[in-house]
Amino acid sequence: MGKTADLIVVQKMTIDTLHKEAATSRLLVGFRKWYYNACGFNKIGLMRDDTINEDSDVKEAIRRLPEQVYNDRMFRVKRALDLSMKQQILPKDQWTKYEEDVHYLEPYLEEVVRERKEKEEWAKK
Amino acid sequence: MAFILETLFTHTECFSQRRCYAAARRSEALTEPLVSKLPSGLLVASLENYSPVSKIGLFVKAGSRFETAENLGVTHILRLASNLTTKGASAFRICQGLEAAGASLSVTSSREHMVYSLDCLRDDFDGVIEYLINVTTAPDFRPWELSDLQPRVRIDKAVADQSPQIGVLEKLHEAAYKNALSNSLYCPDHMLGKISVDHLQQFFANNYTSARMALVGLGVSHAALKQVGEQFFSTRAGAGAAGAKAVYRGGELRVQSGGGLVHALLACEGAAAGSAEANAFSVLQRLLGAGPHIKRGSNITSKLSQGIAKATAQPFDATAFSATYSDSGLFGVYVISQADSAREVINAAMAQVTAVAEGRLTADDLTRAKTQLKTDYLMSLESSEALLEELGVQVLSSGAYSSPQSVIQNIDSVTSGDLVKSQASRFSSKILRLCSEDE
Repeated sequence: MGKTADLIVVQKMTIDTLHKEAATSRLLVGFRKWYYNACGFNKIGLMRDDTINEDSDVKEAIRRLPEQVYNDRMFRVKRALDLSMKQQILPKDQWTKYEEDVHYLEPYLEEVVRERKEKEEWAKK
Repeated sequence: MAFILETLFTHTECFSQRRCYAAARRSEALTEPLVSKLPSGLLVASLENYSPVSKIGLFVKAGSRFETAENLGVTHILRLASNLTTKGASAFRICQGLEAAGASLSVTSSREHMVYSLDCLRDDFDGVIEYLINVTTAPDFRPWELSDLQPRVRIDKAVADQSPQIGVLEKLHEAAYKNALSNSLYCPDHMLGKISVDHLQQFFANNYTSARMALVGLGVSHAALKQVGEQFFSTRAGAGAAGAKAVYRGGELRVQSGGGLVHALLACEGAAAGSAEANAFSVLQRLLGAGPHIKRGSNITSKLSQGIAKATAQPFDATAFSATYSDSGLFGVYVISQADSAREVINAAMAQVTAVAEGRLTADDLTRAKTQLKTDYLMSLESSEALLEELGVQVLSSGAYSSPQSVIQNIDSVTSGDLVKSQASRFSSKILRLCSEDE
């Protein structure tokens, strides 16, 4: 076996590793963390689901949130609006961390979308 | 008291392809209802009446008497929540699925039972039964759907407020009983908006168990119903929480309502359903007069009407009232009169009742009353709703079904001595008065 063969083997191994690794693999998590911090909304204390664009599905999902979760969301949004008006950001220890970011709206949003699709399917028949 | 998910029948198809199921009956004998008890405690009863329409009812011992002080009104909400999303099907799918099959699902609740009844074409039984199963065994109480129910609860209550009869009956039970049966069928004002998902789930877990249910069908085969019962309704074993025994107390309640009429109900404790005295009280009710038999007639045969007509010239209405529950009952007289003639009317009504109590009734009256009772009972069995209800309630309370013939025999065996005896013992004890009146 020559050097080319070794290179090919190494390439094959790397590609296999990448395919085998799940989404929470150590390579991808690093990338995600970097991307999350680069987005910048955590600097004004927001979570990902606070920034989601409010179309009718999202509005319905927000309506379904339990009271405590909804109040927390409103607080974070208010604080962020206040900070953006003053052109400030939070001190670094108060930035939302990647690990603490909870996708609280996701289950409700999925349910709303599923219901809407069910209605559309039925209307098509 | 029923919320009905009615659906539109497509009449056009129905008339063009008529299948005459009735033809099969000429060669087959009439069938008797079959009752069986599954190992999980579920009772399954069915009657094959060769009808093209199947009626399936699930009777659950989850009426308003099983509410506790913490969750008053939960049965009202549960009744309205029956069309909401379940674990197997969303609310939309339940409604559309039933509509597509031309079926209808309705929920009725009484003080003792919650009844879910499903009507569908015989052939659609397999497809449509899953909705009944979902609604009664796997509801998914979602907080936002429940808060959307609040307007419907208010509408129910507003409609009930409009009717003085409903008001009088609710107040009667409140005054007559200390617990259990004193709970109202409607959600009390102080609990509006406070019934939470936890209340519902707890009530559901305590009361919707297999041993407290009866699955009843008309126009279905017993085997099919048993299979459904074994597969789907037997998962929640256990007897659930035992209900409290209803304790009767006498009392008086007056509600000022500012109307021109007085609705008064005077009652005493009656007999429990199924006891020997219950028949005596029913005959007594017919004897005294339980509604006119001819529309816009003068109610000649009613002893109450005869007696009161002598006492006053103003318009009035009087009927004997009888209610039976599994461990208690109420019997009395319901009188509607003008505000200024109330005293004469009520006194005349009570005079009639005491006359019967003292034995002043003729054999003709007794025969007439018995015939009326028998006719009313048999006529009611002609309609499939009443038949289903009769089958379900009997099976759930006693585990067996007594045929109309045996019921008729029991009625026939009531003598005037029985009437006097039952009356004397009850009327001497606590009496309860209830009025809803004008100032």
